[in-house]
Amino acid sequence: MAPPWKWLLPSIIAILAVEPLGAQQTGGESSPTPAASPLTEAEKKAAVAIDSLTVPTPGEFFKAIDKTGKPNWVSQFRPPTPIGGVNRAQMALNLGTLIADGYIAVEAQDGQQVKNIGRDVLALAKKLSVSDSVLARGKSITQFAEDGSWDQLNEELEATQNEVKKAMEENRDTDLITLVSIGGWIRGTQVVTGLLVESYNPETAKLLRQPALVGYLRGKLDQLPTKIRQDKLVVKVNTDLKNIATLVSFPADHVPTADEVKTLNQASAKLTKEISAGE
Amino acid sequence: MKRLLLSLSLVLGAAMLFGADTDDQTKAHSEVLDLAGAFQNDGFKLRDGTWYGQVSQGHSQALQVNLYSGNAYWFSVAGTDASTGLTVSVFDDHGNPVEVQTYQKDNKAAAGFSPDASGLYYVEVSSSAQAATPFCLIYSYK
Repeated sequence: MAPPWKWLLPSIIAILAVEPLGAQQTGGESSPTPAASPLTEAEKKAAVAIDSLTVPTPGEFFKAIDKTGKPNWVSQFRPPTPIGGVNRAQMALNLGTLIADGYIAVEAQDGQQVKNIGRDVLALAKKLSVSDSVLARGKSITQFAEDGSWDQLNEELEATQNEVKKAMEENRDTDLITLVSIGGWIRGTQVVTGLLVESYNPETAKLLRQPALVGYLRGKLDQLPTKIRQDKLVVKVNTDLKNIATLVSFPADHVPTADEVKTLNQASAKLTKEISAGE
Repeated sequence: MKRLLLSLSLVLGAAMLFGADTDDQTKAHSEVLDLAGAFQNDGFKLRDGTWYGQVSQGHSQALQVNLYSGNAYWFSVAGTDASTGLTVSVFDDHGNPVEVQTYQKDNKAAAGFSPDASGLYYVEVSSSAQAATPFCLIYSYK
């Protein structure tokens, strides 16, 4: 394994490159930190959690996987999902899974697939009355896909997701934001475990450890208004997430076995399917 | 440069959308993008999210983030022109400090980190200034 300094050194050099960008800097100090005092329980409890930074994007998840080998991303494509939706909660969950599909298509560097998914994302966003603000994003996604600008597409997908969430906030649909995040995370987990079922790799399996994240998402579900919380699909998602939480909550030094990965894959695949079907 | 400009425009747009409500916040956001731009030049991708807050000596603030082992991260923070003494620290899920690479200059600071284990981490912003200092934090990964 490469020492951490290997990637840090170019970054330090990169900091110096800030200069020509107009900042009034003349160097700055870059050094390893002295040890800070540990956080107290009260400080940990007071720590802020915000959706746009606390929840990692599928792209971030997938980037980590890229480092562990050459994943067969195409194998994780799925047939086009119905975008009708039985209600707004189901559509929001489905939108999250679709955005994750967009990241998969970017990883696979499949421009046509990116465009198809971008079109579905816009169509679904329109049904949720948030299309106006994301229409421009749709055009950018198409353009970047045609140009093969994969890095920009990753950023554009996240920007699109955040813009959808912002539009939901403006439409007083803040409750749906959580569901978009959950949909994305579930589909992302299905994809990663799917790759592992195909070709098990302990380094990739270690990435599945995310106990706090599932706890955070479940906590947000518990805060939803009763009407949404009691929606048939949302109840199912909450119940299944409880099971999934146990599968991704393992000690830092544990490496999930192939069987454990398979169990998680089955659970996340089942939930993704239920979200798509609106059952 | 094209990529940098594109990213800057995306994030500036997001800042307008995501509550850069005051002049201080707008300034802090602009400053932190200056810093993060350097990491982007090094292949780091910028998350499209921002965290605004205020710190002063003895009154730090922490953010929960969920990170992946194998990825490298830079957490960048900046304040207004008058802000000095900002620092960024990272702690694991038990609250223990982890070793990071730090950067500090004028009204900006950053911490670079590559986790060995996936999971929850806390990013803490502190200030040595007596007066309340507004800040904007963003993070990038590769």
